[in-house]
Amino acid sequence: MDLQLSEQHLKFRDELRAWLKANLQRPWREALRDPQATEDSLMLLRRQWQRKLYKAGYLGMDWPREWGGRGGTEVEKAILENELADADAPQILNFLGIGLLGPALIHHGSETQRRRFIPPMLAADEIWCQGFSEPGAGSDLASLRTSAAVDGDEFVLNGQKIWTTFGPWADWIFVLARTDSADRHGGISFILCKLDTPGVTVRRLRQITGESEFGEVFFEDARVPRENLVGRIGEGWRIAMTVLAYERGGVSLAYATRFGRDIALLAAACKEHGRTDTVTREKLARLVVENEVMRANGIRSLANFADGKVPGPESSIEKIFWSEFDKRFREAALDILGPGGQLLRTSPSARSDVDWAREFLWSRAGTIYSGSSEIQRNIVAKRVLNLPTEGR
Amino acid sequence: MKFDLSEDQALLRESTRDFLTNEWPIEKARKVMEHEPRGYELAEWQRLAEMGYLGLLLPATVGGQGLGAIELAIVLEEAGRACMPGPYLDVVLAAAALAAAGGQEGLLKDISAGKTVVTLAREDAPFRGTKATPTRVEGGRVRGAKYFVPFAAQADALVMATPETLYLVAKPFAVVAMETIDPAQRFGEVRFDHAATAVGSAGLLGRVDRLAAVGASAMLLGVMSRAVEMTLEYVQTRQAFKRPIGSFQALQHRLADMLLKTESTRSAVYRAAWCFDTNDGAAALACAAAKAYAGDAARLVCGESIQMHGGIGFTWELDLHFYFKRAKTLEQFYGSTEVQLEQALAAAGF
Repeated sequence: MDLQLSEQHLKFRDELRAWLKANLQRPWREALRDPQATEDSLMLLRRQWQRKLYKAGYLGMDWPREWGGRGGTEVEKAILENELADADAPQILNFLGIGLLGPALIHHGSETQRRRFIPPMLAADEIWCQGFSEPGAGSDLASLRTSAAVDGDEFVLNGQKIWTTFGPWADWIFVLARTDSADRHGGISFILCKLDTPGVTVRRLRQITGESEFGEVFFEDARVPRENLVGRIGEGWRIAMTVLAYERGGVSLAYATRFGRDIALLAAACKEHGRTDTVTREKLARLVVENEVMRANGIRSLANFADGKVPGPESSIEKIFWSEFDKRFREAALDILGPGGQLLRTSPSARSDVDWAREFLWSRAGTIYSGSSEIQRNIVAKRVLNLPTEGR
Repeated sequence: MKFDLSEDQALLRESTRDFLTNEWPIEKARKVMEHEPRGYELAEWQRLAEMGYLGLLLPATVGGQGLGAIELAIVLEEAGRACMPGPYLDVVLAAAALAAAGGQEGLLKDISAGKTVVTLAREDAPFRGTKATPTRVEGGRVRGAKYFVPFAAQADALVMATPETLYLVAKPFAVVAMETIDPAQRFGEVRFDHAATAVGSAGLLGRVDRLAAVGASAMLLGVMSRAVEMTLEYVQTRQAFKRPIGSFQALQHRLADMLLKTESTRSAVYRAAWCFDTNDGAAALACAAAKAYAGDAARLVCGESIQMHGGIGFTWELDLHFYFKRAKTLEQFYGSTEVQLEQALAAAGF
């Protein structure tokens, strides 16, 4: 057992830290609370930041160099995520492209697709959104009905996607569509579609935070060239499940860093407001403890990556932990701050350290997206604990 | 970087599990817990000494193995799984305090050889918050009382703490037994009117307390791991409504949460042990967090295990209650959750 980063990884981390110090002019928190900021201006900022990271060679960390990646490892990727959190850097704009589609193309795409799609994805020239959920297919994703009929050398897409994160901001969508109505899992294919294709309509949805980060996408006889199929026909489900496991693992450390900073700011706010009673201190201490345990989970997965272990279904445990803790943390923060914690950032009396009200609302998302907590518990019960399936 | 145990550490785990499976099967632990007034067996204590467990952390010069907190956590996790009764952790901690104080080589040799049992006397009152009078030492004599002294009736000497100083006090002691819900652990109230030898500053206990936090949370990890195993086995065999109850989602989701708590405790315990051994800057916070989390987690996991066993879970006959009781007692001692929460805040600088 050894939880110290290797010399080589320490060197990488220190170089990265120096680069961040020189290149990140403004912490994300400050950008967010700028009264001049709009959703568009924030998206632009994230696009510019992503380009900067890309030019410096910090994106596509664990992807092969020949496709525009850095040729590094999952360890370096986790270190990068943690340092970005520590520096309070904005999230990159194309996180769905890089987080989900990139791995799908690297593992299942054709050589042509990798060369065509990966460079503009990394450079934030083409922004991707994720077309998985449908009005009738959320947690039960395999019941999706959006269809892709083969017609010559084209697919004809019909149906509707919803909760499409980044829909209103994207240029492209990766779609899970049904190519065989008789085969529940084997009848799903993974297809790439440009959002300005005739027959495709994007509509914004307003979220509980007031923002419109997600939307819905309608397909009415939208024609997509056959070459936009990733993998083979009927492989879509398998591809989607592999990439989702990637998304779930190895993120605890960065979350512990991000939450840790907010907990420290909350503690400072308590001192500032003279909120030093025992009840408050116990609440704060419990947050500190849970965050530290999450950090330990993160260090453990980082060490496992470094030891050459691939994250399996137990990465669901990490996702349940950080997303459920996020909710408890933000609720406790509002309790501790009292009514002032509920003020919107536009309100003159609102605290300027963290947008506590927005974080409180936003924390409701994490236990729903990318496989709800209930789905993660199903995965743990079936694939880690090997419990029998419930009879019908 | 590697989370898995090294070859030597894995070997230690394997040999400890074999040792405990052979010498401390649960039937025997039950017998000792229920019928042995000492709370452990002298012959078994000798075996622990022969196997090198008593001197695990002590230097070779006093017959020890010179190992660290990771190795201690491995042994205690296994001891927790086996529900091994006796003063093992208490003696390890008292020896750590004496080793830190220095000048106690003879005593430490006897401790690691299993000839002498020494534990730490810390609690100044039976209930927290009562206006306790700390024990005083004047003219080389200690007067006053200590409560919840681990295995006081069996101890040859006690390391007694005043707010400033650690003293060594030798038997005989007049002990009033303090029986708790947990028969794996014995406590006593000790009234002192004894000669006391100062051995060092009470400040030495800071590091001992961090070791106690790691050790107790490792034992809690073993306790809850075993409870999860027993429950997984039960829900797959017990039938209701014509199917194994483990096929019901109402139980599956809770079992998933039990695994989450157990595995998160594992991450926290071994990271804390590593931080302790390497004197990492995060050690104080990591140790406090591990104990605070493990205490809550083990109580919840063992409680859920009893619930899922139904009526049989509430019987004395099933072994599960011993684990549930261990969980609650370990949560309260070796730095209670309250104490660890304060430590965590202090370590975080809040």
